[in-house]
Amino acid sequence: MYTRDTTVINPHGIHARPASTFVKEASRWRSNIQIANLSQPDKKPANAKSIITVLTLGMSLGSKVSITAEGADEQEAVDALIALIDSGLGE
Amino acid sequence: MITLKGKGVCSGIAIGEIEIYRPFIPNISQETIRQEDVPGELQRYEAAMAASCSELSALEALTDTPESSAIISVHLDLLNDPSIDESVRGLITESRFPADRAADLTFEQSAGLLESCGDDILAERAADLRDVKRRFLRNYAGEKEASLSRLSRPVILAAHDLLPSETAVLDRKNVLGIVTEIGGMTSHLAILAKSYDIPAVLGVSGLMESAEEAMPVILNGGDGRVILAPDGDTRRAMEAEQARHLWEKALAAEFMDKPGATADGVPLQLGVNIGSSRPEELEGTERADYVGLFRTEFLYMNSGHMPTEEEQFEAYKKALLFYAPRPVTLRTLDIGGDKSLPYYPLPHEENPFLGCRAFRLCMEHRELFRTQLRAALRASVYGNLWLMIPMIGSLDDIRRAKEALAEVRAELDAERIPYSGDVKFGIMIEVPAIALIADKVAQEVDFASVGTNDLCQYLTAADRGNPGVAQYYQSYHPALFRVLCYVSECFQQAQKPLSVCGELGGDRLAAPVLAGMGFQKLSMPLSSLPYVKQALAGRTMPQLQSLAEAVCASATAEEAENCMR
Repeated sequence: MYTRDTTVINPHGIHARPASTFVKEASRWRSNIQIANLSQPDKKPANAKSIITVLTLGMSLGSKVSITAEGADEQEAVDALIALIDSGLGE
Repeated sequence: MITLKGKGVCSGIAIGEIEIYRPFIPNISQETIRQEDVPGELQRYEAAMAASCSELSALEALTDTPESSAIISVHLDLLNDPSIDESVRGLITESRFPADRAADLTFEQSAGLLESCGDDILAERAADLRDVKRRFLRNYAGEKEASLSRLSRPVILAAHDLLPSETAVLDRKNVLGIVTEIGGMTSHLAILAKSYDIPAVLGVSGLMESAEEAMPVILNGGDGRVILAPDGDTRRAMEAEQARHLWEKALAAEFMDKPGATADGVPLQLGVNIGSSRPEELEGTERADYVGLFRTEFLYMNSGHMPTEEEQFEAYKKALLFYAPRPVTLRTLDIGGDKSLPYYPLPHEENPFLGCRAFRLCMEHRELFRTQLRAALRASVYGNLWLMIPMIGSLDDIRRAKEALAEVRAELDAERIPYSGDVKFGIMIEVPAIALIADKVAQEVDFASVGTNDLCQYLTAADRGNPGVAQYYQSYHPALFRVLCYVSECFQQAQKPLSVCGELGGDRLAAPVLAGMGFQKLSMPLSSLPYVKQALAGRTMPQLQSLAEAVCASATAEEAENCMR
């Protein structure tokens, strides 16, 4: 298992288009990947490959998020997804 | 024969047969299945998913605008969501639900989850999720899509409502007219009908009860009448009216390429209003003398996110290049009031038209304004940019807008980013308070343009979107003409350009009156241009001047209209 944290920099949070970009990247990896919104601890961690659960995390500008993966490519998957969030998800 | 009434949103008369569009209504089983049927049910589930997926992929290939292809792409994302798949399979194998019941429950739970976040954007995704669910259930039931992308013959489409995913692929050449039970003047469907020039009547209650498949129907997109199963006399009368309408259109079309001028040769500049710089919108508009209104809000409303500086820069650059050296009047963001952005929720207001809209909103959200001004100034090097600020109510507003612009100029200077030194600065005149100090305004700005729709709404205190007070919103109210006349005198005295970009400018009765008052520039939708040119060419300037005097001296809107006819 491998985990890393980061902060959302998109001015309007992770909404439709950035969420779609994120989920497409997550789906490329074999590991099970979870994403949690640490700024809203009452919300359950989401399956990073599911656009619906990712959207419901309500990640906004400045939200602290944590990505955890478990599987053969866990470290590369988490590093790639953290880098994607840090790059603003194509926005 | 039955006559129904709705809102005509695109003028023209359509005569033809009805094609009823009824979306699939699922009938979901509430039973459970036997253990031995589980593998077969999983196969049916997979087959329906695969069919839905290939339908969406086929639709994606048919879409011809970025907006409609974005809708289809979201639907594909939702359909392929692994959490949906996991839940449906679980319900089939463990609870022994048939696939339709399992999918209905799963999609509804997810939609509920999105709605419970209290976020308008997520609530919209819930609507998309239900659209996808219906597609799955239809495929599970083995029914074909009643597709609007391929109609067998020219028809008049009748429906309760048409969803964006349905209109995105409309088979335009076979649609003579559109009639629906819901939807209004500003709905997505209304805008689409206008841009395709298809006669349409929306908001016709009782339509689906009375309409039958292949029933003859006549619809009048001008007055909003829908006549089902017309009798012979009515049909002949409407055919004559249709012919007259087409004849008028053809007659006016001859004026399309003539320069705008009165019968005695006084030239007038006639411009167009545009909402984007997309090729289909610019087509034909090169005949205009200028762009009197580039409504930038559509750039924001048709996007799933706040348009970035780069995206705006590209859109403005395209328009400026297309019309150069002719002026393009770019109106800064005009949202609030009746226009909202799905991804940028604004606080609820009791009186949005009197609230924080347009310029006022830009002052509250400076970053929005700054991004737009930067994009516009950067694009200014590609053409002749006139920058226009809406919803200005005082000279303080004008000065604050100028300060914001000066700040952005200083920023660009510091970053050594070039912009044109010849950008004109102007305002919309739509608030009565600013119209009544037009003499002072003319000293402060390079130009102004009158937004007659809002000016009329604020003068008559009647909401232009509320059908209940439509009789009070009188667009020929003499007060409106008197105010226009005053504004025109002030700008003539100051020798500053003044235009009209509201509906009155493209109104074939009112445009000659405006010319008579001294307005030298009128801007309108492209489709009105030939009619206005024709109306202006019919009279000399002295005739127009006495017409304007008579209209301003009228006591009622009816009297004013009688002078114009």
